[in-house]
Parts: sequence; structure tokens; C-alpha cells
Amino acid sequence: MKNLRRASQIVFFLFFVYLFVQTEYKGTNELGLPVRLFLDFDPLVALSALAASHAVRAVFLFSLITVLLTVFFGRFFCGWVCPLGAINTAIGYFRMRGLEPNRSEGRLPRWRTVKYYVLVFVLVAALFGWNAAGFVDPISLTIRSLAIGYNPAVNKLVRSALEATVAAHVPVVSPAIDALYTKMTGTVLSFNQPIFRQSLLIGLIFTAILGLNFLAPRFWCRYLCPLGALLGLIGWKQVGARVHNDKDKCISCRKCVVACQGDATPFPPGEWASGECLVCYNCHEVCPASAISIRATARSTGGGNVDLGRRRLLASGVGALLVVPAVSAVVQRTRTDPSLIRPPGALPEQEFLRRCVRCGECMKVCLTNGLHPTLTEAGLEGLWTPILVPRLGYCEYNCNLCSQVCPTGAIRPVSVEEKQKIHIGLAFVDKNRCLPYAFGRNCIVCEEHCPTPQKAITFVEERAIDEKGASIILKKPVVSPELCIGCGICETKCPVVDLPAIRVTAINESRSEGNLLFLNI
Amino acid sequence: MKEAAVLVRTAVPTGRAVSEMLDRRKFLFGLAAGAAGLMLTKGKLPATPAPKSDKAAKPGAPGKAETYSMAVVKGPNPDLATRKAIELIGGMGAFVSRGDVVLVKPNIGWDRVPEQAANTNPAVVAALVAMALEAGAKKVFVADNPCNDARRTYKRSGISDAAKEAGAEVRYIEDRNYVKTNLGGEVLKDWLVYRDAIEADKIINVPIAKHHGLGGITLSMKNLMGVTGGARNLMHQRLSESVVDLAAFFKPHLNVLDAVRILKANGPQGGSTNDVVRLDTVAASADPVRIEAFGVTLFGKKAGDFPMIALGEKRGLGTSDYRAKGFTEVTLG
Repeated sequence: MKNLRRASQIVFFLFFVYLFVQTEYKGTNELGLPVRLFLDFDPLVALSALAASHAVRAVFLFSLITVLLTVFFGRFFCGWVCPLGAINTAIGYFRMRGLEPNRSEGRLPRWRTVKYYVLVFVLVAALFGWNAAGFVDPISLTIRSLAIGYNPAVNKLVRSALEATVAAHVPVVSPAIDALYTKMTGTVLSFNQPIFRQSLLIGLIFTAILGLNFLAPRFWCRYLCPLGALLGLIGWKQVGARVHNDKDKCISCRKCVVACQGDATPFPPGEWASGECLVCYNCHEVCPASAISIRATARSTGGGNVDLGRRRLLASGVGALLVVPAVSAVVQRTRTDPSLIRPPGALPEQEFLRRCVRCGECMKVCLTNGLHPTLTEAGLEGLWTPILVPRLGYCEYNCNLCSQVCPTGAIRPVSVEEKQKIHIGLAFVDKNRCLPYAFGRNCIVCEEHCPTPQKAITFVEERAIDEKGASIILKKPVVSPELCIGCGICETKCPVVDLPAIRVTAINESRSEGNLLFLNI
Repeated sequence: MKEAAVLVRTAVPTGRAVSEMLDRRKFLFGLAAGAAGLMLTKGKLPATPAPKSDKAAKPGAPGKAETYSMAVVKGPNPDLATRKAIELIGGMGAFVSRGDVVLVKPNIGWDRVPEQAANTNPAVVAALVAMALEAGAKKVFVADNPCNDARRTYKRSGISDAAKEAGAEVRYIEDRNYVKTNLGGEVLKDWLVYRDAIEADKIINVPIAKHHGLGGITLSMKNLMGVTGGARNLMHQRLSESVVDLAAFFKPHLNVLDAVRILKANGPQGGSTNDVVRLDTVAASADPVRIEAFGVTLFGKKAGDFPMIALGEKRGLGTSDYRAKGFTEVTLG
């Protein structure tokens, strides 16, 4: 069973990585694969979005499958499916190898309750309008960290190595690597080198979480993970696979305690905590006396779940109640930040924040690498939610990939035709920096790139004298607020690269009632 | 190798019919073989002066097929029209030699479908690819540095699929494929240029005729911006001079204008089929300026209105009189 479990972990992890790599434009408008599948089956994502937004979505039904299986088999998701669990298992494996029974067992049983407080905090906060689940939900956390933090670094590393080999001009080898590099681009590697704001920070946080395995194996899963806590509560009966330690056979060698992936205390007999069991079958495999059996039974075989302590549970709930208003008050946003340009299809800001789990799928899939995690633009409550940064990448006119991958409908599904009519912001010409206005030189790159069939950027013509004294027709760009959808390609392509002479801000966005520019439009 | 290719190209006088041009291979061969080589090239000169032909030359007329230096072909089938146009100016064999590596350079700039006439017609591209291979090219590749995402433009323009089917290798231009090169132009000096374009034996330049906010109309010479990298958007400040510099540097061996559909407003990327007019026309010449001069007439304009054309002529890249000697116009049924 242990080997079967390992195989399952490997298969699901590879599947997860495959879907992650496929979260990119692959030549068709519709992504052929359900790249957000793991998020769809994540009950914490569904529950927190439900609690915060009160909106029931059909896609939440997938997570009910996870719930149902958990009722029977306990935290099988943690032990057999979860990609972060698999990474932690792998790292924890090396940590565990050195452990001797009866010495340090890498166990911190008093920490076991922490994840339940995290869960209570997250759910209470969600009920009161702040969906913070995405910070700590393991699937959201993993996708975000890989997309924003690790993927750019891995790409850079591999690309640098390949480029150095190509540039070395070694006969035979360099051309072969050159051809290989071309094949890898857009398949194994991202099509373009991804670059994200805050990628170092988000990558380091994930690295720290992985590093916790050296304090105790699977530290995150055992002590911190709110999804683990939720599944532990749902599956504590675990009738499908209960661990039974036969006290007549047990020789008290404690090998099972060391081998336990969770912190489920299979020893002493009768102390087994079902909510902590990751169904890894290690105890069963390792027991030299064959005292441990895993059976399908409704009868109690252990000491029940860990004692959460009513007072501390209450404290974490009350804590959330106090924090929710505090968080939104830290950055008192009486007005929208001008750079808070949400992707097309994003719900009105308040509703958007109630649903977004900051998984980073939209940022990963964005064709132009234009979507980035916020820092302060959406306030503290909106940290790491997506915004378009037109200086780095624009919103491709014929693309709606971000709306296809959003697991919670924070970006609602929009057709390409509908998307092309959504205003996400408005472009403004900075006449002090724009070449024809400021320096009397022609340019009009913005007008050239403007994608609306009737161009939102036009120009007025003016006779002028150029820098060589010749008479020229000067073309000065003008933006139509009726036609401009705020896609930002003008800002991306503006030759004034540091602070573009045409810039998009969020004003005039279709989704907002408070960010309007005109009386009637 | 790179320098050699450029040297040979600059050594060939411009503005002449391509049939008079020597390609590198033949040039070397001719030198070595002396008189025999001379005769070989002589045989390639137009047998008779091309007639002043405003009317359609009769295709398939008895006797030796005449060779023109500029052909305009109208016909409902872009593949046949392209083939006819090339045939009229001497056949692909006059431009592509056995063993050549050929770059077919269409406009794949925008994330638009063929009906929107923002990119070169895929059938025209495919026909040229097939003809170059038929003429014995070792390899034909298709590439462009687009304005929108390359994956989308290659796919949605229909060019990627059509060119592959015709036997071309379709390449994305990656960052490492650009090399800093001295273009020796009037305004363009050191610039990042697509290495494979410099190293290719032949360049077939295949623009589409369309409206452009700054240039008025964009045609053959501007199409060459697609093999440059770097801060291309700076070229707009001296657009005419820049594209003439590019034409002078690359000296495309063959220029084929796709006017199957032309975009008359909201260019260069358009988007509305209301701005598209179907002309079912393909023009071909070795002379990029001449193609340009013909192209603007499709929009009811005169060559004299475009400084780019005058500048190209002044630089010796070709003639602004597209109806000059060797012009023919054919309508296919």
C-alpha cells in the first residue's frame, strides 16, 4: 500500500506539473485542458468563496467529490493527491531518514492544533467579507509560488545554460543545443521568459515553507495547512481506513511514530488521532510486530481527534473578526488606485476580492505577461490579486484566457466578443512626454497598435517644422474615451520606455460604479 | 560568411531587372569558367525588350514566353495569380538557385484572420514557398517579428499552417537570433537584425497592401521591419528614411505584393471587414520601389505623394515609374 501511495503521489504531482506547464497559450483560443482542475477539487477554495460571496457555482460540485471521499477515507487527499504534500513528502523523506526511534522524532504534537485555528480564522474572515484563503490554501499557494516565484527562475536558469552552450560555438554540440532550445521553447519552457513583480518574495516564502520540513517532516501539512484541517474535520470518522494498533502485539518500538507522515500518534495503542492521519500506510508497513492494521470499520479504534480547546478556537474566530476591518483600514482606500487595472471580466472590486484566491493562474496564463500580483494597489486585503501592468505587458485584444482559468469566477467567463467591449481602463496622452506634442517629432506608434477596429487612438494633423528645418505634417495622438478599452498596448509599445507618454489608468472601467469618468457614456 | 553574403549583395547593382543579376553561386562559377560563365549569364538576359504592354500579354501564346521586369496579375485564385506573376517575370528559377536557403518574409504582424487583411494572404505565401522549393531551394523558411504575440499571429493569420503545408520551415524569431549589425544606412546604423535573414541566400519579400496611419500606406520596404529587433518603434520618427535604409541593406531579391484583399482604413491592423476591399491582385518584381509605386495606386494615390518612394528611387533601389519598360498586366479567367 505504501508503494501504491507513493506511485499515486508521483502520478498526481506529475499531472499537476503537466497542467501547470500547459497553463499557457497553445495555439487555440480555448485552452484544451482543465488546467485549474486541482483548484476545482479543492473544498477550501469553494467554501471560502462561498462564505465570502454567497454565490453558489456549479463548479463547486467537484469539491464535493473530495469531501465525499474524505468522509470515508480521511485525509487521503493530503497523503495521496496534494502536490504540495508530495513535495513535502519528498523533502521530509530525507529528513526522516536520519531519525532514530526514541530520540528526536520530528514531532511537535502541540502544534497540531494550529492549522485548525488557521482554518477558523480564514473561514470567519471569509464570512465577514475578506477571502484570505488563497494565502494559505495549499493548491493556490503552490500554483502561485511556482508561477510567480519558481517558474521565472527555472526558466532563466535553463535558458542561460542553453544560451551559453549555443554561444560557445562548439561544433556539433552548439547547433544541436540551439535546435533543442527552439523545441523546448513553448513546450517545456515558457514561450517567453516570464518576469513577475515580487517573484523573489513569493518564491522565498514558498522556499521557507519547504524548509520547515527540516524542523519536522511535512511541517506544513501537519501543523499549518488549513485544507488539511478542513479535511481532518470532515474525515475524522475515516470509516474506510482506520488505523488499529493491537496493544497485545505492540512491542513499543515507536518505529510507527517516526514513520508517520502526519502526526497521528499510532503509538501508544488507542491514542491514534484520525484527523491527523494522512493515510500514508507507513505505520502499517514499518511495524515489525504486525501490530498495526488498517481496516474499514465504523468502530472507534483510537483516541479521537486532537483537542482543539474551545477557548483557543473562539480566540481565532474573534481574532479574524477584529482583523477583517483592521486589514481594510490599514490602507484606507477612499479612492481607487489608478494602477488597479483588473483583467477584463473581473467582478466589481468588492465582489472580486471576495472571490479571488490569489492562485496566480491568470498571471501564469496571460499571453503577454501583463498580469502581475498587487502589492499595495488593492490595499492589504487585496495583496497578490491580479492587475494589468501595461508597461510590462498589454491585454491581447482577441484573448480571454484569464477568464477561462479563474477557479472562483472572480474573473467571470467572458467570450472574446464580449471581452472586446469591456473597458478595463482608459489611456491618457502625457503631452509633456509625447514626441509630437513635446518635441515636434512624428511617432504615432500608439495609433498603429491600437487594436479596436475603429481606432480609439486617432491623431490630429498639424503643419510643423522638423528639427532639420523641413516642413512636415505632425501627427498628434488623441484618445477616444468611448472607444478606448484600456488594453494598454499603446503604453507597452510607447517608445518612451521608462515612463510612457501614453498611460492607462483604471478610470472609466466598465465593472465599476464608483470609477466613472463621464456623466453619460 | 555573414560578411560575404552582404558583400555580394551590395556588389550587385540595384534597380535592374533581377534576371540580369548574378547570384553569388553563379557569380563565382562564372568567374571560374570565364567565357562559358559569361555566356551562361548572357543567356539569361531578356531575349527581347519587353513590350509596352498595358493590355494583357497572352499567356501561353505560341513562341518563346516573354520575360518582364514587373507583372501585375488579377485572378480569383491567389495561388494561380501568384504563380502567373512569377512566371511572367522569368519564373522562380530566375531568383532562386538550386541549393539556396530562402527566406520568404510575409507580414505576420497582427493577431488577425485573412479576411481582415492585416497580414499577407496565406495562399500567396504558400505558393511562393512551393515555387521556391520547385526551383531547387535547399530550404525555405518563413519568419516575421510580429507586433502582437507571435504564437497568435502565426496561427490566426493562417500563414503558419499554409506555409508548413507547402513545405516551409516556419520559425519564430527568438531573442538570441538577433545580431547587432551595421546597416550603414542614413538613419539606421548599428541595429539588431534577424541573423537568419542575413545568412539566407535569397529573400522573397511578401508584403500586403494596407493603410497605415503614419506612412499612409505600407508596402514592400516597410515589411522589412519584420526582420529587425531592438527598439523598432523608434524608426517611426524617420519612417521613410528608415525603411529605405532597410531595403538598401537587405536588397530583397524578389518582391511580391499581396493585394488579394487590401485594407483601406484603420491600418495597419484593421479589424473590421468594412475596411477591406477584395482586389484579387498580385504584383511581382525584383524592384521594391516599383512594387511600392504600383501599390499606392490601388488606393487611388500617386507615387509622388510618398516620400518613401522618392527616397528609394534616389538611393538607387528602383524606379518610381511602375509602368516603365518591362511592365505587364494580366487578368486570369
